Amino acid sequence: MIEVCDLRKEYGGFVAVEGSSFRVDRGEVFGIIGPNGAGKTTTLKALAGLLEPTSGTITIDGKRADSRETRRLLGFLPEESPLYEEMSPRSYLRFFADLYDVPRDVADDRIGRTLDRLELAHRDRALGDMSKGMKRKVAIARSLVNDPDVLIYDEPASGLDPLTTKYIIEFTRELAAEGRTIVFSAHNLYHVEEVCDRIAIMNEGRIVTEGSLPELKSTHGETVYHVFTTVEVPDATAEGDRYRRTVEDMDELDAVREAAIDRGGRLEDVRTVEPSLEGLFLDVASPERPGGEKPPGATEG
Amino acid sequence: MRPRTLLRIARWESTKGLGGIDRGAVAVAVAAVAFVLAVGAVAVTGGVALEDGIYRVGVSEDAAYHDPVAADPTFAAVDTDGRNVDTGPPTPAGDGGVAIGGFRGDGRIDLYVEERAGRTEIYVAFFDGEPTEKGLAALAALRTSVGRYNDALMRAEDNRTAAFPVTVSIRFLDRSGTVAAETPGDGGGGRSGSAVDGGNGGADAAGGIGDGATGTGESGGMGGDTAVDAASFGAFDLFGTSSTTGSPSDIRPPFPFQSLVLAFLFVLPLNFLIQAYGSSMLSERLNRRGELLLVAPVGRGEIVVGKTLPYLAAALGITAAIVGGLWLLGSGGGPLSVLAVVPLALLFFGTTFLAAMFARSFKELTFLTVTISTLLTTYAFVPAIFAETSQVAFVSPLTLVIMDLTHAEVSAGEIAFSLGPATLVAVICFSLGFGIYREEDLFTQRPVHLKTLDALASRIHRPRSVALVVALLVPFVFVAELLAVAVLFALPVTFSIPLIFGTIAVIEELAKGIPIYAGYVHARYGRTLAVAAAVGSASGIGFFLAEKMTLAIQFVGLPGLAVADAAFQTGLGAGDPAIVALLVLAPLALHVVTATLTAIGASRGRRLFGIGLGAAILVHLAYNVAVVSTVV
Repeated sequence: MIEVCDLRKEYGGFVAVEGSSFRVDRGEVFGIIGPNGAGKTTTLKALAGLLEPTSGTITIDGKRADSRETRRLLGFLPEESPLYEEMSPRSYLRFFADLYDVPRDVADDRIGRTLDRLELAHRDRALGDMSKGMKRKVAIARSLVNDPDVLIYDEPASGLDPLTTKYIIEFTRELAAEGRTIVFSAHNLYHVEEVCDRIAIMNEGRIVTEGSLPELKSTHGETVYHVFTTVEVPDATAEGDRYRRTVEDMDELDAVREAAIDRGGRLEDVRTVEPSLEGLFLDVASPERPGGEKPPGATEG
Repeated sequence: MRPRTLLRIARWESTKGLGGIDRGAVAVAVAAVAFVLAVGAVAVTGGVALEDGIYRVGVSEDAAYHDPVAADPTFAAVDTDGRNVDTGPPTPAGDGGVAIGGFRGDGRIDLYVEERAGRTEIYVAFFDGEPTEKGLAALAALRTSVGRYNDALMRAEDNRTAAFPVTVSIRFLDRSGTVAAETPGDGGGGRSGSAVDGGNGGADAAGGIGDGATGTGESGGMGGDTAVDAASFGAFDLFGTSSTTGSPSDIRPPFPFQSLVLAFLFVLPLNFLIQAYGSSMLSERLNRRGELLLVAPVGRGEIVVGKTLPYLAAALGITAAIVGGLWLLGSGGGPLSVLAVVPLALLFFGTTFLAAMFARSFKELTFLTVTISTLLTTYAFVPAIFAETSQVAFVSPLTLVIMDLTHAEVSAGEIAFSLGPATLVAVICFSLGFGIYREEDLFTQRPVHLKTLDALASRIHRPRSVALVVALLVPFVFVAELLAVAVLFALPVTFSIPLIFGTIAVIEELAKGIPIYAGYVHARYGRTLAVAAAVGSASGIGFFLAEKMTLAIQFVGLPGLAVADAAFQTGLGAGDPAIVALLVLAPLALHVVTATLTAIGASRGRRLFGIGLGAAILVHLAYNVAVVSTVV
């Protein structure tokens, strides 16, 4: 469905994205995460046909991403909601439906149903008079006026209150359940875990790693064990009336148990700690990693 | 570009803000406009009545002066029957039998007219032994009024030969033009000449009024028709300024004041429209509002053209309404006036579009649009002032409006010359702005000069593309040089020629140098000497080839002006083929050399670019002085 091959985007002397390649299958939800300035937004804008790659190719259904034909298939939601605030939601959405050549009756029906789903009641009030959450819902509705096969959402819940955020994340899951292909970016890793089938972690313009969450965990994450003892053992920290030490394998665990027994105590509890996406992110996007090195000539933008 | 999409965007552009406009404010605005129009219409048709009846004249109904006084609303005729007017001795009567004296004013009347024993005595109100200011003003006004009244009587006379026994032919010529000898009786022709009637007005009615209170009267004012503004005869006399009578002292070069004022009506709305247009374009950039339009399946060209269309349509609609209104009031003006406004409107919108692409805020945009308004209004008006005296006037499309309003004939060449440069510049402005109407340039906040470089660099990909960009700038150069000619041609040649040499050198070297520098800033080519030479050559050749379009000036014979010949250096007057060849090839060499100097400087950084550009200007200036002034 979406094929990105060796994407490079340069602004003047600044390299925003370097050698990115990935593939998103039809119906898949693909998440892109990374720290600020990692190149996520540039990648999403290139996917939406907004930016012309300096080199590399992007195809959607075999066609160039910036072709007019491809843009008809896309629904793009940028990080901000740059609406025409003097317009009402209804006239705003109708205008965009017109641009996508959606017949007026179909557009009205679709707009009505989408706004119903998004629980947006004030359809003829000026957008400038609406709350940020309501505007975000209108922006989401706009991304759906052409009933797109592919949705590119950049931080869909950015800056919203927890209730609206939850609502929008659930709505995105519903869209995914309808079989749409979604490329999704978010700083909130919980949202990514909730929604995405596969994840790419970007840093300094490059894709550092990519795969499903279990794959990433197995590749990059390490399961650790929290061992609790009744007496103090080396490298343990006190937690209430007992002591905790983190170990990475069974041999280490055995050593802790023997140390506790030697000190007149015992092993009280062992807990397995699976790697989190946050942990993976922090680990993979760390500047100390080779992938995290700044590309030549790149400066903070 | 799909018409349906264009119309959708245009409709959206013109209606999107409707919801945000307060209906009450709209009603008040409409009422205010209607009121102003109504007052204007009344003022135009009935005249302004500010001075009605300000002078009170004591004159009996059977006096010869009663009719002129009654015909002029400035005066209020008061029949005193000689009562309560304590007149002093009048000065001796002049030839016309008019004597001037004074009377003790009581505030009721300013002048007192009395006919006594076949002679007319006019008394000015006195106070404390001195004539009152108002009385003297009334006397002067009466003098003028009587002259007008007599002229009107002459015009109404059936026997034209008796009324105007002398015929005077007046023809105004271009200062530096030539004209063939005319046969006697030729009434003259063209825009600057006409045959008219002249003669001495008689004193069969009220007679003339003496010159001042000395009593030196004349039997008749200099009457008859003397054409002083041939072109304005056919024009609509909105202000009542188009006099067809007067004395030889009234003869002066034609100045289309009335047409210029009317032409201002055509430019005025553009100044307002560009404010709205610029704001709309800039608001697409601020807060990234325009991003979603760029994602939609519409072309960038469709967005820009679609958003421009409503404003262009409004400009043309207003122009058509003005033409229609003037036509209803009996003026000239028709399709040519509307046609002339099209490139002017495009020029206003094109430059504003570019300004909106460059500006970082509404404050900056306001500064730019005010600058644009001032410059373009100057461009439109300064040459048009010479509409009836010099071909240089055709630099401005507004001249066509004036010609149309005065029913003057205009050739196809003059129309092309007048409309061509403005249209080309407008197209290039749109083209440059369009080059940066894309995500990565549209939403960046860079200073105006860097945005300018971005716009130029967006079309530079390799050394030879500089030639195309420089060629694209030549219409700007052409318009700037024409404007310089229009501004400087009225000066004495000893001043205007050196000034035009300097101005031309600066304009042309900037046009060649800035695109070169833009390419270096955006790392479009290497910084070696060989590459600098290639870039400079490309710039020089591109400029030279495009400059040949200045041959368009041949359409209207602009090189007839010495200053224009110096500016455009056509050299066509030189008969020797070797000199003609030299004048064709020498500019090529000049442009290549100077552009290469600039390119070498630009390849070494900003400071050396400035030094290189300065050196290029000096070389260009030396060339102008040494070659052109000695050969042309």
